[in-house]
Formats: sequence, structure tokens, C-alpha cells
Amino acid sequence: MYRRMILKDLKRKKTLNIILLLFVVLSAMFTASGVNNIMTVEKGLDHYFEEAGMADYYILSHKSNGKDSVQELLQNSENAKSYRKDEVIYTSEDNFKQNGKKLMEYYNVSMVQSLSNSDFHFFDSENKIVKEVDSGKMYIAGAIAGKSDLQIGDKFTLKIGEINMEFEFAGVLKDALFGSEMINNPRMLVSDEDFRKIANDEYVKQYNSGSIYYIETDDLSALQSETAEAEDVYLAIDNETVKLNYFMNMLVAMIILIVSIGLIIVSFAVLRFTIGFTIAEEFREIGVMKAIGLQNHSIRLLYLAKYFCIAVVGAFIGYFLNIPFGKMLIASISKNMVLENQNSAVLGILCCIVVVLVILFFSWNCTGKIKKLSPIDAVRSGQTGKRFHKKSILQLGKTKLKSTAFLAINDVFSQPKQFSIITAIFAICTVFVMVLSVTANTLSSEKMLKLLGLTKSDVYFVDSKRITDVISGARNVNETKQEISDILAENHMPAFVYIEEWYNLSVTANGEKYKVNFVWCDDTETTDYTYTKGVAPKYENEIALTEVLAEKMGVEIGDTLIIGIDGENKEFILTALFQSIMQTGNVGRLCQEFEIPNQLMTGAIGYQINFNDNPEEKIISERIETLKDIFQNKNIYNVRGFINNVTGVSDTLESVRNFVLLISLIVIILIAVLMEHSFISNEKSEIALMKAIGFRNHAIMTQHTGRFFISVILAQLLASCLCVPLLILFIDPIFSTMGATGGIEYQFNVVEQFVIYPLIITATVAISAFLTAIHTRTITASDTANIE
Amino acid sequence: MNTVLEVKDLCKTYIVNKRQNNVLRNVNFSVNEGEMIGVMGPSGSGKSTLLYTVSGMDKMTAGEVFFCGKNMSAMREKELATVRLEDMGFIFQQMYMMKNLSVLDNIILPAVKSAKHRESNQKIEQRGRELMKRLGIAEIAGNDINEVSGGQLQRACICRSMINNPKMIFADEPTGSLNRTSSEEVMEELTKLNANGTTMMIVTHDVKVASRCGKVLFIVDGNIKGEYAIDSSANLRDRERSLNHWLMEMGW
Repeated sequence: MYRRMILKDLKRKKTLNIILLLFVVLSAMFTASGVNNIMTVEKGLDHYFEEAGMADYYILSHKSNGKDSVQELLQNSENAKSYRKDEVIYTSEDNFKQNGKKLMEYYNVSMVQSLSNSDFHFFDSENKIVKEVDSGKMYIAGAIAGKSDLQIGDKFTLKIGEINMEFEFAGVLKDALFGSEMINNPRMLVSDEDFRKIANDEYVKQYNSGSIYYIETDDLSALQSETAEAEDVYLAIDNETVKLNYFMNMLVAMIILIVSIGLIIVSFAVLRFTIGFTIAEEFREIGVMKAIGLQNHSIRLLYLAKYFCIAVVGAFIGYFLNIPFGKMLIASISKNMVLENQNSAVLGILCCIVVVLVILFFSWNCTGKIKKLSPIDAVRSGQTGKRFHKKSILQLGKTKLKSTAFLAINDVFSQPKQFSIITAIFAICTVFVMVLSVTANTLSSEKMLKLLGLTKSDVYFVDSKRITDVISGARNVNETKQEISDILAENHMPAFVYIEEWYNLSVTANGEKYKVNFVWCDDTETTDYTYTKGVAPKYENEIALTEVLAEKMGVEIGDTLIIGIDGENKEFILTALFQSIMQTGNVGRLCQEFEIPNQLMTGAIGYQINFNDNPEEKIISERIETLKDIFQNKNIYNVRGFINNVTGVSDTLESVRNFVLLISLIVIILIAVLMEHSFISNEKSEIALMKAIGFRNHAIMTQHTGRFFISVILAQLLASCLCVPLLILFIDPIFSTMGATGGIEYQFNVVEQFVIYPLIITATVAISAFLTAIHTRTITASDTANIE
Repeated sequence: MNTVLEVKDLCKTYIVNKRQNNVLRNVNFSVNEGEMIGVMGPSGSGKSTLLYTVSGMDKMTAGEVFFCGKNMSAMREKELATVRLEDMGFIFQQMYMMKNLSVLDNIILPAVKSAKHRESNQKIEQRGRELMKRLGIAEIAGNDINEVSGGQLQRACICRSMINNPKMIFADEPTGSLNRTSSEEVMEELTKLNANGTTMMIVTHDVKVASRCGKVLFIVDGNIKGEYAIDSSANLRDRERSLNHWLMEMGW
């Protein structure tokens, strides 16, 4: 009998049951993929580093005339517990050519090494460890390779010194040490035979050979102090800093995590609401069942059985959909990282079981009302006459609104519980999209310049060849600036050219030694940059440090620090603090008055160009295209392009935002359709009455659509108010882990965030509600005779 | 006397499970201005269908219905809605009301919607209150529809049907859901309205209700089997008795 009743109910209320089933599917899918993603992101980086065979500390060294001073230091060090070494050959983008053109464009130094002799693990796109490489083939590891158009099997040449070898591209690999968007030094992996051939070249031996040391230590700070003054160190970096360099990837991961949590909350809120709403619709049946003598627990059991059936079917479908959905969410960040959750199947099943249990709990909770419903409810259509408060908030006689608008507004305010939940769900969906949009905008805006410690200029020219020449001592930095300036003048684009130079110097503070990247530029003033505390360095013995670094060193403004420069120890006064996401905050700034030997320069992002005639954006864009041809280099950008290139995730974030927008739209369409359908079935008699007394179809459809329209407009207002607090609550902490501890100045695009997206969401809700409201046409005035 | 409603050869057919069901068969009758006509007949005879079809709420299959001289069978749904809003009033057995509106707002809703009087909402509200006062329910104006008795609610429905000063009121079992006292009160009000010149068509099972009409149509299987004019000078008990007698003759 019960089985027949359930089957009959499932058939009779097909649409409502299908919509409920869809929400169960969505809940199971969001919960399973969300929890899996949380676990993946939570464990992700540690798991990846463990699998890759990362160490505690890494040093990249140059060999001077075949001598390796770092190895000697490590052999005698008490702080280095053990170490591994990979021999490398330093290269740049100019060494690799395909059909006469650069193979890839990147501005950092790249390294060629043998895969066979390395204990470090590189992973392919399937997250499998690659152990061997055939002679004549080359894998390229790092984010840059993933972004290139290279296809497996493509042929290209490596030209360095007297070496001119042809290689076949074997694929892209993931590199835990240098593969993040922020570090992104590509590593080229070749066979041992090919590596030896290159390494034995005299020019390479002289200028390009070096080593990567993977060092295990129990006392990192002691080891850092010990190696701070080592010669020929190109880069020294600890494991925590490498982890921080995945900041951009983790930023996206954290956002996905927040989105996942949000989706779980939305889906459970929707479920609770839907179950409550559908049970409230059943008062007549419940009243009749009570009237014929069924007991409360029997009736409750009947509904629980029905929702259990729907929950099991929905959770089953949701489980299978969670796998591709979860992969889709995590895909944007798993390009550069090995992100896999070993327990994903078990977790998925557990989550689906939880969803079923939660649905049963909601059903149990909602069916509690059964006790309160009496047979009278069946007779009096659920209206017991026991309510003595005034329900109607607005008064028709005192309004100037048209009757349809009045009815829509009055309905919203007369059913606050229902419409506030609908409004809250619409608001959550909107605020997700807004927050992601603002974050993506900020990451590609000029405001990032402050966090990168750079000044604004017309053009950013990332010329790794000239910079590498300066670092290796082959050329003087001023010569390269003058050369670029002359070429610009010859091409009728006279401009001022400058460069922010990086110097990796050892700093002694409170008795501890640190390696710090100092930025110095004699063409700008220290006052051109933003500081969070103190006053910009004015004299040659004044410096500024990031807040992160000052805290790490335990120094405050006014303290004196000793910096080792060219074999000399000099005293500097800390006058200001700033925030930077460069080198994960391991940055200082020297005053332009201080004269630093250029041969100590260890890096630079690129040359900055300011045209003398202050051209407009459009002219700058045209000139950039001309400059690309002149310099045969594609790494020439305007501000926005440069920021995009440096942060490297704004495109990814935009994809995530579009994906979230799509999911949000699906959720709100389902909500609007479900709720409008429920309203129609609940208000059948009212619709028939309205038609009988002369309301036209379009007036009724307008009233029904209007209610959702009001709801979504309120949701947009709510979302707009919540946008900034939620950015501060969720996005600020993510940036602060990277060094921007003082909060972020967000870049709002008012039209995009507060007009376009709200309009898309409002239009989607209105159209969905309107299309569902067309169903009211099937109810005729004469139905007043047929409705019970 | 002007004819308000004229029905010619009205047919209404439903097709259920590919089977033709002729609910109304060539129905002919007319209602004059100020008349109160009752429609009686056994269950399923087509009484309510007749009321809904002649009032433009349901579509006719064949025939013609003229309301105040206008051919309703030629009207589009939009025009029919306007006629129902401005020239007709409706009272149903179930006291349908908009649940989110107060009793007064339910009453004045058709007037606010209508462009007929071009009054301010305040004036409409005032008219609504006056109507409520006339029907003795002024004290429930601000109440929710769940806070009043069935009789009060049906009188509110009468007020709503009156708010646009319709040319004719259609009532489908107006006392069907009421107890005897409420039923008599409601019929008293409808009789008063008719006495003031409002034309009415009432579908009912109740001889007491029908006996208040001037003319009663007896319908069986979609056909008007007979028409009985009640002596308007007789008292209520005699009218009821004579109607009962006629109905027995018709096979009631």
C-alpha cells in the first residue's frame, strides 16, 4: 500500500519531484567534489613536494673556472645534514630556436640538466614520474612550457657556445622546485649522453655551468647564515619560500575551496528549503490521512520513504557527476602541480551518504509539522483560522502602484521566509561572481605594481638576453639602457629607459645572517614607491624592508643592519617598511643615493620605457607592436599585459569566475523554476480567481515574474553590500600569506561587477521565472469550479 | 426591458479520453435587466458549465452569447477579461480570496485593476468600505482572510463582485459552503442587490435560494428542460412551495 502511495506521488508530482531530484544531484555533486577539493588543496602542496623529493634548502650556483665553492662549503658544514646535487647548464630563451624563431618566450634563466642522474622527480600530465629520456629528445618542465604551442614531436635546436644540437620535444613536465608561476625557471631535461656533450663545450664550461643543491638540514637559519656569504651563488631559497611561490596557484586553489564551501552551503540551504516547501504543500493529503486514522509516525514514515528514494537516486547520480566536476574545478591549478587525492572515491561515496543522511534529517525535521496538521487542514485548505496577526503589510488603497506591481511586492513581503531564502541564495551566487571578478581584476590591474615594488611606465621590456649579459658581466647595465634608448630614438620614439636592478645581498640583523633581494634604481626616487610605515630612504645609508622581512629579522624602523657588499660590511638604517609579493616578501629597497657596483647585479624583471611625448594608450599599444618587430622579442608589454605576465593567474581566475558564473546561473535557474512551479501549484485557485475577475494572462505572469525580480534585485543590493567585507574576509588573508600583510587595494570595475554580472543574473532569474510563469496560462477562470 | 444576456443554441463539448461528452446542448435563454435567474438541476447536469460559459470564463463549442448586445463568442480572451472585470461580478461556492491581501484589499482589487472609473485608490477604498458597511462586515476590513467566518467571507466576496458596479452578477452555489444562518444572510443581501437593479444569475441546488429568483431554469443533461416564473408578489414560503412543486413535476 505504502509502495503504491509513494509511486503514485512520484508520478503525480512529477515536475516537483524531478526538480527536487536535481537539487539532490547538485548537492551530492557539490559536496563530494567540494570536500575532495578541500582535501586535495589542503594536502596538495605537501603531497606534491614529498613525491617530488624536495629538500629543506636549495642553492643554485655558478661554477667559476670549473671550481664549485658551494660544494666545498657544504662538505665542511655542520649544518648541512646531507645534500644532493644536479649539474646544470644555464641557458636563456635565445639559446632555443625553432625555424629561426625563439622556441618559447620567458625572461628568467633556464637550465638544461640530465634526467637520468637526478634523484629529483618530475611528473608528466598524468602525474606519473618520468625517469628516463631518450637521446635526442628533450622534456621541458615548468609553467611556461605548458603555455607554449609546442607539440610532442616538434623539432628545435639548442645553440650555445660551439654546440648546435637538434632536439625533439618529448613533452611538458611538472617541476616542484621551479615550476610555479612566480619562479618559473624552465628546466630542460635531456639524456645523460646529450648533457655530457653540451657540458663539455669550453664556452659552456667557462660561462654556463652550475649546480642545484638539494640540502637537508636541522638548523635552517644556521645554514642560511653559513651560506649567505658563499661566492657564486645564483639563488638560495628555502622550502617554505618555494611553497610560497605557489602562492598564485594556491590563491586560485583557495578561491576554489571557498567556492566549493559556498556551493555546499547553497545546495544544503536549497535542499532544506525545498523539502520544507514541498511538505507544506502536502497539508491536504496529510489532513486526509489523519482523518482516515493514520498515525503521525506512519505518515512521517511515508514521506521519509519518498525522500529517501529521491535522495538515494540523486546521490547515486551526483556521485558519478562529482568526478568530472571536481576535476574541472581543480584543472586550472593542477597544470603546474601534482594534485591528487588518493581517497577521492571513498570520500565521494562518504559525502553522498552524508547528503542522503542530511536529506533524511531535513525530512524528519520538516515532517515534524505533521503533528500540528489536523484533519481540519484538509477541509480548510490548511488555513486553520488560528492566526490573528495582520498578515498584509501594504494596503492597496494607500498605494499608487499598479495592481500587478502591488500584488508582486505584497507577496514578497507577506511571505518573508520563503522570499528571504530565495534572495539569500541569489545573493550568495552573485557575491561569488563579484568577489572573483574583483580579485581577477586586481591581479591584472596597475595596483599590483605597488605590490611588485615597481613604478608605472609606458612599456615594460622583458629582455632576458641583455639582463643575462649584465648578470654574467659580459655587459654593463648602463650600456644596455643606452642601447635601447638609442634604438628607440632611431625609430622616432625617443624615450627614457630605466631598470629596477636586483642585488642578492647578505644582511646581518640581531646576529643572524639572511640573504635578501634588494631592489635599486638610480633613475627613480625612493619616494616614488609606497610604504606602509616610516619614511622613504633618503640618504645612502638608509634602506626599506618589507614588513614580512622585518618581522622575520626582528628589526624595527630605526634599527641598524649590516649588509655585506662586495666584500665590505656596511651599516644601514631601516627607515621604512613596505609590502611586496615579489620573492614572497623577501625584498628590501636601497636608496638611489647609494652607489652599488653593477657587476653585483643578480637579476631584474625588465627594462621600463617612458616615451618623451606622453602618448595615449592607443599609441602605446601601436608602438609596442613596432617594438616587438624591432627587438624581435614578444615580451614587450603595457602595464596590464606586464602584470598579467608576472602574476600569471588572472586568466585562470577569469576562467574560474566564468565557471562559477555558469554554476551560479544553473543554480538560480533551477531555484527560479522550482519555486515558480511550486507557487503556481500552490496558488492555482488564486490564479483562477484573478482570471475570473478579469485579470489578463500577462498581468498574472508579470505579477509572478515580478516577485522573483524584486527578490533578485534585493539580492543584488545585498551582494553589492557584502562584496567588500567578503573580499577583506576571504581574499585579504590569501594575499597576506604572500607578503601583502597590510591589506589589498582592490581594483573595482564598477560596470563589470555592479552592472554586467548583476544584470546577467537578474535577466536569468526574470527569464526563468517568466518562462515558468507561462504555465499559468493553462489555468483558466473556469477552474474556479474544479479546484478543491 | 433591455436584455442583458442572450444565449442562442449554446453547445459545450468536452473530449475526455477521445470520447465526446456533450455537456450543453443547444441551450437558449435570455436574462433581462434587473432579473434574478436561478439555474437548477441534478449534479453533472451542466449548471456550472452553463454559468462559466455564458460569463466568458469558459469557451463555448458552438452557439452565440450576447452580453449587453455584444457577441461574446466573437471576443478574444483579452476582451473577455475586460468584460469580466468591468461589467460582470462573480461569487463562487468556495470563497476564493488572495491570501496575502486583507479583506478590504481583496474587495477593492478589481476596481484598482479596472480603468472603468478612473478613481484614486483612496476613493476606491472608500467605496469598498461603504460596500462592507452595507453588507454589515465593516469591522473586518483590515482582517486577514483567515480571521473571519465563512459567512463574513462570502459577504466580502459579494462586495468584491459589486465593487465595479457590474451589469450582471454570476453566482455559482453562493451558499454551498455556508450554514443555514449564514446562507440566509447572504441570500438576503443578494436579494437586496437585485431589488436595487442588479441583474443576477445564480446556480444552486438549494430550493430556498432559487425561490428568491424571479425565474428558474431546470437543466438536465445539458438541456433546459423547463423554465418557471415565480410569482414575485408571493411570500418566500409560498414561492418555495410552488417551486418545489414544479421541480417535482420536472422529475427533481
